[in-house]
Amino acid sequence: MGPSLPSRKRKEVSEVVESDDEFDGAELEGILSQSEDDDDDVEDSQSDGEEPELDEDEDEDEDEDEEDDVRSGDEEGEGINGESNSKNKPDVDGEADDEPNYRVVKDANGGVRYEYAEIDPVYDSDDSDAQGPVNTIGNIPLSFYDSYPHIGYDINGKKIMRPATGEALDALLDSIELPKGWTGLTDPETGKPLNLSQEELELLKKLQMNEVPSDDYNPYEDMIPYFTSIEEKMPLSAAPEPKRRFVPSKHEAKRIAKLVRAIKEGKILPYRPPEPETEQEDKYYDIWANEEAQERHVMHIPAPKLAPPGYDLSYNPPPEYLPTAEEKDNWEKLDPEEREKEYLPSKFDALRKVPAYGEFVKERFERCLDLYLAPRVRKNRLNIDPSSLLPKLPRPEELRPFPTVCQTIFKGHTSRVRTVAFSPDGEWIASGSDDGTVRIWALNGHQEWSAQLSSADEPEPVNMVRWRPSKDTFILAAAAGEDLFFIAPPIVSDATEQASRDVLNAGFGYATNGSSAAAATTTADGAKKEPPAKWSRPSASLVAKGVLLKFAVRSAIKTINWHRRGDFLCTVSPTGQRSSVIIHTLSKHLSQVPFRKLPGLAQTAQFHPSRPYFFVATQRMIRCYDLQRQELVKVIQPGARWISSMDIHPGGDNLIVGSYDRRLLWHDLDLSNRPYKTMRFHPEAIRAVKFHRGLPLFADASDDGSLQIFHGKVVGDLMENATIVPVKMLRGHKVEKKLGVMDVDWHPKHPWIVSAGADMTCRLWA
Amino acid sequence: MARIKKKGQAGAAKNFVTRNQAIRKLQLSLPDFRKLCIWKGIYPREPRSKKKVSKSSTASTTFYYTKDIQYLLHEPLVQKFRDHKVLEKKISRALGRGDVSDAARLEGNASRPDKTGKPTYTLDHVVRERYPTFVDALRDLDDCLSMLFLFASLPSTSMVPAKMIARCERLCLEFQHYLIVSKSLTKSFLSIKGIYYQANIQGEEVLWLVPYKFNQRIVGDVDFRIMGTFVEFYMTLLGFVNFRLYTSIGLKYPPKFDAVKDEDAAELGAFTLEGKTLVGSEEQSKLEDVAHKPDPKVQAAVNKVLKNMTNGAANDDASMADTQEADEDAAGAIDKFEPAAPGGDILPQPSYTGTNPNNLFSNFTIYLSRETPRQPLEFILKSFGCKRVGWDAVLGGGAFTTDELDPSITHQIVDRPPIQASMNEEGDGEDNQTAQKLAANRRVPGRIYIQPQWVWDSVNDGELKEPHVYAPGASLPPHLSPFVRKVQGAYDPTMSLEEQETEREALEAGDDDEEVDADETVEGMDVAEDDEDEDEDEDEAEADEDEAEEEEDEDEDEDADEALQRQIELEAEMSGKTVNSKAANAKTKAKEDAKKALAKKAREEAEDLDRAKGMLSKKKRKLFEQMQYTNNKKSAEDAKLRSKRRKLEKEKANGKA
Repeated sequence: MGPSLPSRKRKEVSEVVESDDEFDGAELEGILSQSEDDDDDVEDSQSDGEEPELDEDEDEDEDEDEEDDVRSGDEEGEGINGESNSKNKPDVDGEADDEPNYRVVKDANGGVRYEYAEIDPVYDSDDSDAQGPVNTIGNIPLSFYDSYPHIGYDINGKKIMRPATGEALDALLDSIELPKGWTGLTDPETGKPLNLSQEELELLKKLQMNEVPSDDYNPYEDMIPYFTSIEEKMPLSAAPEPKRRFVPSKHEAKRIAKLVRAIKEGKILPYRPPEPETEQEDKYYDIWANEEAQERHVMHIPAPKLAPPGYDLSYNPPPEYLPTAEEKDNWEKLDPEEREKEYLPSKFDALRKVPAYGEFVKERFERCLDLYLAPRVRKNRLNIDPSSLLPKLPRPEELRPFPTVCQTIFKGHTSRVRTVAFSPDGEWIASGSDDGTVRIWALNGHQEWSAQLSSADEPEPVNMVRWRPSKDTFILAAAAGEDLFFIAPPIVSDATEQASRDVLNAGFGYATNGSSAAAATTTADGAKKEPPAKWSRPSASLVAKGVLLKFAVRSAIKTINWHRRGDFLCTVSPTGQRSSVIIHTLSKHLSQVPFRKLPGLAQTAQFHPSRPYFFVATQRMIRCYDLQRQELVKVIQPGARWISSMDIHPGGDNLIVGSYDRRLLWHDLDLSNRPYKTMRFHPEAIRAVKFHRGLPLFADASDDGSLQIFHGKVVGDLMENATIVPVKMLRGHKVEKKLGVMDVDWHPKHPWIVSAGADMTCRLWA
Repeated sequence: MARIKKKGQAGAAKNFVTRNQAIRKLQLSLPDFRKLCIWKGIYPREPRSKKKVSKSSTASTTFYYTKDIQYLLHEPLVQKFRDHKVLEKKISRALGRGDVSDAARLEGNASRPDKTGKPTYTLDHVVRERYPTFVDALRDLDDCLSMLFLFASLPSTSMVPAKMIARCERLCLEFQHYLIVSKSLTKSFLSIKGIYYQANIQGEEVLWLVPYKFNQRIVGDVDFRIMGTFVEFYMTLLGFVNFRLYTSIGLKYPPKFDAVKDEDAAELGAFTLEGKTLVGSEEQSKLEDVAHKPDPKVQAAVNKVLKNMTNGAANDDASMADTQEADEDAAGAIDKFEPAAPGGDILPQPSYTGTNPNNLFSNFTIYLSRETPRQPLEFILKSFGCKRVGWDAVLGGGAFTTDELDPSITHQIVDRPPIQASMNEEGDGEDNQTAQKLAANRRVPGRIYIQPQWVWDSVNDGELKEPHVYAPGASLPPHLSPFVRKVQGAYDPTMSLEEQETEREALEAGDDDEEVDADETVEGMDVAEDDEDEDEDEDEAEADEDEAEEEEDEDEDEDADEALQRQIELEAEMSGKTVNSKAANAKTKAKEDAKKALAKKAREEAEDLDRAKGMLSKKKRKLFEQMQYTNNKKSAEDAKLRSKRRKLEKEKANGKA
């Protein structure tokens, strides 16, 4: 009701304006003059309709009438009237039923025109057109019309004239008193001052106070009981009441009788106290009455039983089980988890003194945890005597002969003895040392011959001495630094010595030959090429001593080995890169480099004892070449990290390898290229290995100062493997600067071995 | 072409499941799963290759055998767990709504075995499943008995309900009754942890540990829920085992339980065994009826005699000696089937065929003084044939007699120190006369007083020990564990030192006699020896070298010694003194020789060992070294014990001398 109020008010105003449109000036004037007693027809007719309303309204709000009187025909007043008019419309209509609802006016042509009263769309009216604003200028400021006498156009296109701003009079009136409902605002649509009526002010006030805006809405109306209050005259169903409504139930009677009987019999007690908890005996029976043994599942692992108590757990143990004060301290210091035993044996001299064991509950709890939480695994305990693991070796006594004791000690070298060799006839021993000398000894320890190969001030160590393997000559090859000397010591029979000298000198005829060959290679390649070795006579003093021939290669020679026939000789100088392995021909004084390139550092090289094979050991591998066909025959992989030495069995099918990583490896060349047997007897590196030429013996020499003698029997039968038995550990050399025994050599016939030690001695073991 | 096998589809990967997988499969909570595992005896496994089994990289995963978990799927207990879970939910929901009465009603349905000690479920079928035969159950009885005996002696707490304790106690006592009647207890041992008992039940050896009767110290990190779960199962198991055992000897199970007697702390006496053949009870009751109540007349007569004896104490020595002899004769009558050697045979040989060791105490009436532990003594005495065990009234009811002066008593077990005054004037057996007025240190004549250890030692050796060794106040011989299995070469305290020491030790011991600072040498030498054995690689060379040199040195030394000797002789001649005894010299020389021979032998053996060891492959060598290490450790322990004993013996000898 409230919201519709203002719009209707405006409409009322528009009505007025519309009715005025024909009388522009007159109406304006009328408004301006504000005369109450307007004699205009329209006004009249209007007022005709109004007058009775006013009368009726008078008792409703008298104030308003009074105001109207005072304000003398304000438009607002009209609006209010209109409103009250609209409010009371039904009544008005009802009264005006008999009256014609039109008026007769003159139109522009002076004809008759029926003018119907404006249809006032009441609140419920469907007429939506009438809702539109009277002023149709739209949403533009009214100031645009400031310079015009009108303020816009109505729906019929007629000008809406600016209401007079009765300046003088209004100012006067204003100065007298503020008009009722004055707001000081101007209605934008009409241009008139916007005043609010008392009712509207009330409304605003109520809205402000959050009250129900309209007076005639009662939020607390009396409830009208629509249904209960109305008494129906007729029942809905006319069926008579059933009999059962009047007769007591048989079923209930039955049930009650039952209950009564039960109560009488004492079956139902009026109150049953809660059952006392009866101690219910466990029902035990023979659960294994029809037992049948089952095979346990294979995966079942029964829990291990706890170990039974030992002597030390006794309350009164033998006194030796009691811990000493120190042991007690140690035990107490340890963390409980680290203790070997969770208790400390203690002695009580009477049973009454034994206290409770504090950890009892905890130990039981831990056992419980073990039972259900510890992962179980079946472990096969090797309950064997450890000695059963050891191989059954034949007694060393059965494998005699082999060297057992130190026979002779050769003293004389002033520095560590690098190398040692038995002469082919087995009567002499040659040794080379870091002091630069080569010495030849008789077997009784007497030094027979000696020569300083390099200058005594800065001696080049003699790395290797090897006898030429023939009995009719007596030639020793000795490698000192980069030089290799051929020595025919003058200590044997003249015939032998002469033969030796002849062999050594025979090559001098070829010397030029050799150089010419070198020259030939030079011409062929077009570039000058150094020969791998330069053969020459040593200094005169040496020649006088019996050192008859020498050659020099480019880097220090570490190993020399003779071919079995004594004409060829191979030298290995590990640092020599591509010319590290050189094969020399003694009879021609010729040196040849067989390998253009070697994979890895060459360590040692050796001729096969019977076939034209040549073995070259690099750090990790041993390669076997066929010299005749000039091809690689075999690659042997001992698996050692760094090969130090090797030797080939006189039979030619077996090979022993010593390595710096402390291993001694036996290779059967027919069997595999991997070792047949790996032996570890030394805690330090192995320096040298050697087969005996005749007997089934071999030996290794190690930096721990010991020699291990093995019995190694090789049978011709291919089906049978070699038998290897360690027979004796020979100790005697002292370890100096982590070096023990540097070299070993076997006597050609007897089971004697000579070793060169870093302690400046050689030892002969027999 | 064969299909390519996918990883993790067969074999070890399928055989094992992790714990989380198992729980998810069973749809159980972790505590329920734990319970189930404990009851069903399911345990984690260690797969042979963890890598093949586990899909994750976590190293510490526990694996269960898949089949075990599969069997659990059909377990009726699982359904019980689920029902219980539902009930708990209902209760908590009712409580959440504030519906207290409903919650109380539901709570009434819930069984709370941790509070009442009485579950709604039974574990019977689990027992049958886990132990298909009775012998299987007996085999697994060790932990069960230890656990139940522990719980029987625990105080009741919120975690351990009193009812559970009472049940445990009853089951244990029933089991003890069986052992007494069937005489199957074989050995017992007083340790610092408690008392070990071993019984032979139907051919199965069962060993369990019973704590001393003290309040148990409960350390914080013990979870009684886990223990309780175990105990729940063990109670069921022992109940069935007891039933079977009782019925097997024709007794009714459960035996009649007298609550009044039990209140009186009668313990074993609270039960009355009954059956087709009334075994112990009737006899016992007869005995109680007749012999127990001391006739006042007899008592008066005895008193009179005693009085006379004290009056004529001085002149009655002879008669006393007679009585004593008579006593001893009586004892001898019992003892004469003993084996000749009291040292003890290792094996239980049927040497004493006449007497069953289980009737060891059958002719005795034994009285326990109030300071002795009644329960173990009563049990062990009864199970070795003693029918009449009496004790002081403070030790509880059920005694044969509580009167210390009962004339039928032949032995009295005391564990209190003798008062000095009385000790001075009497020998071990003679104290009977003076103990007339029965003061603090009173003695009743005609009975043997012994300490409790006598019972245990007698039982373990299967023969009655000489009582004077165990007389009150005497320092007891060591109490040895009867469970130690004799191993060749291991230290055995029962044998003399000479029998078991190694040659080298014997030689050194000989040295020790002469030298003052013996022990140092002993230990030093031991260490050296060990080194040789253990780390061959490093020290071998040097050691051997040393030895070789030693050998040489020794030769030289010998020469030097001889020269020195000659020199001394010469000097002595010149000064006119007599030469030092040649005999002593010869003796030392022989010893030296023996020592040298020994060293040589050892060296040769070491050499042989080295030769053989060098030929071993790396794997075998490692194994060999490991085995040798453990063996050496063991022998070192034994050597230590021997050296300790040698020292003690020497001290003793010195003390005597």
